[in-house]
Amino acid sequence: MLYVFQVLNGIGIGMIYFLISIGLTLIFGIMNFVNFAHGAFYLLGAYLGYQVALSTGSFTLALITAPLALAAIGWLSERYFLSRLYDIPHTYQILVTLGLSLVIQELVISIWGPVGTTVAIPEALRGVIFIGGFPYPKYRIFVVLFAGILALLVWFLLERTRYGALLRAGSESTQMVSMLGIDIYRLFSATFALGALLAGIAGVLSAPLRGTDPFMSGEALAIGFVVVVIGGLGRFEGALVGSILVGVVQSVMSSVWSEGANIMIYVAMGLVILLRPRGLFGRA
Amino acid sequence: MLTRRKLLVTSAAAAVSAPAIVRSAMSAEASIKICNFYALSGSTSSTGKTQFDGVRLGLEKLSKDYAMNVEQVTVDSEGNPGRLLPKIINELQNGTRLFAGGSLSSESLAIMPEIQKAGGVYVAATGADEITGKNCNRGTFRWLVSTYSAVQQTIAPLIEQFPNAKRWYTITPKYVFGEALLTNVTDLLKKKGLEHVGNSYHSFSESEFSGYLTNAVSTKPDVLVFLNYGSQSSKALRQAIEFGLKDRMKIVLVWSGGLEQYEEVGADLLSGVYLGCQYDHQIDTPVNKEIVAFYQSKLGKPPTYSHIAGYVDNYLILEAAKRCGSSDPAAIIKTLEGMKYEGPTGAEEVRAGDHQCLKDYYLLKGKEKSKMKSGYDFVDIVSHGRSFQPVEETGCKMT
Repeated sequence: MLYVFQVLNGIGIGMIYFLISIGLTLIFGIMNFVNFAHGAFYLLGAYLGYQVALSTGSFTLALITAPLALAAIGWLSERYFLSRLYDIPHTYQILVTLGLSLVIQELVISIWGPVGTTVAIPEALRGVIFIGGFPYPKYRIFVVLFAGILALLVWFLLERTRYGALLRAGSESTQMVSMLGIDIYRLFSATFALGALLAGIAGVLSAPLRGTDPFMSGEALAIGFVVVVIGGLGRFEGALVGSILVGVVQSVMSSVWSEGANIMIYVAMGLVILLRPRGLFGRA
Repeated sequence: MLTRRKLLVTSAAAAVSAPAIVRSAMSAEASIKICNFYALSGSTSSTGKTQFDGVRLGLEKLSKDYAMNVEQVTVDSEGNPGRLLPKIINELQNGTRLFAGGSLSSESLAIMPEIQKAGGVYVAATGADEITGKNCNRGTFRWLVSTYSAVQQTIAPLIEQFPNAKRWYTITPKYVFGEALLTNVTDLLKKKGLEHVGNSYHSFSESEFSGYLTNAVSTKPDVLVFLNYGSQSSKALRQAIEFGLKDRMKIVLVWSGGLEQYEEVGADLLSGVYLGCQYDHQIDTPVNKEIVAFYQSKLGKPPTYSHIAGYVDNYLILEAAKRCGSSDPAAIIKTLEGMKYEGPTGAEEVRAGDHQCLKDYYLLKGKEKSKMKSGYDFVDIVSHGRSFQPVEETGCKMT
């Protein structure tokens, strides 16, 4: 029963990781842009959510306003700064976005201090339910359901709307889409904003689980890239399956080899790279 | 021409005035250089920055109290012993011989031999038993108590208080400090005839504890013991309460970070949780009241354990320098060995055999939010005391 529960727990963890990684896979896979500031957007989302919740007493308001703020920040960053990096090698994109990430981190420290904070779980979502004798928090169930609904919405956007079709076409050939009269760069700005919004949602939802701390961006970025590598670049289903796989590995390994639970995520990534370099759902 | 008479008179005059010269060497114009290092960047920097503030303000007070000009050098350990070591070697090459600080036990263990080789003094701010145990050396001292003492003053009183608590589960970070705490806990539980029903190790960078908490729940413990520290212990505690474990078992955090951690976690989560700590601002001693009043005037709030650790580490060096009238490391070492002084926890002493300060460790309990008298009144002191192994049992062979 322990292992069954660890698998269920792993799926729950995986859905949290999905929220972190879906934005990254959109930006990385579809826009072919290596965004090392994605973790910093997650961090900023958590802190903005914390501030709104603290000031207004409303977690719901935090869940609405913080991601929208991140979307605006993402759009502005892309429009006036990051778009200049599209034509330069990935290594320089990494350098610049890493720099942006460090600036955001230090900004967070200067505003909120170096010590973390706690975000209270909303009253209605406190408590646990019992699954086979094991307690499972109601809040985590909410996060899983929320992430599931979000996953459906993102899938619908990418697969069933004109925007999604244009984005997928643009990822194949920017020039061709431009020649059809579409402002592909405006499309990319909107996608970057969407990626930042999703990172912001992940930050706000994760904060009651793990608290906020100024160094949480590094961990989020690492998980995000592991999921993208396992699932395949730019693949929505890859992000979903990859996230769940990472969550399950981490959870089950905490019972099998507890000190190695974290490292096994990277071992799993290594195995995927060896056996299927383009990822589980990546295109050849 | 120097005559024998002149020589004798001059020598006599020098002999009489020499102590004054030496004393005046330690008076207002004297300069003493101390290098403090803490994690000022990286994932462990939250406590490092507080330690640094503790040192900065503490030296402001101490340099006035002792009428000494203290030259302070700050080194960022980055929470990484590999990066710290060359920086300390560089300081040694620059002539620095007095050191204090550390944010991780691995940092202290890495630099202790180098400082010892150079004939320097180091007052450690980290907890692994080895520092004043099997890795002890003549140059290293430590104010804060080791993991042995921490476990004896937290777990042992709880065993007495809860005689029906037979099953204990531990969650442990897999590095030298965590292993030391775990060894001490398992030894104590075995001695008391209690059952250690399981342990989950986790990595140093872990932030997802649900799997380990699930392991704990499966063993049905009476007490859940966290042996981690800093932001990891805050996350683990937060998730344990989220999983409803506070209602099912006692929770104890053996090595808490003090007030800054309690502020981070909050009273709602902290209430009913047992915490071990090196220091609390409520300690009722004249020295502590004076220190708290000073920091309160500077920070607008009471000092935390991280502040005080930085303060006391430097105080020990300066007090020894004052007593021996010299900033020479060998003289300071000799003075520190066996030095008795009034510290924040009362009468304290630097044990000569292993250079460990004998001081109290505190068992605290989180208060209900409604019972807090101020925004900093998170805990009640349940008990405190001193537990130290005899020197011969620590493994210390002083070189």
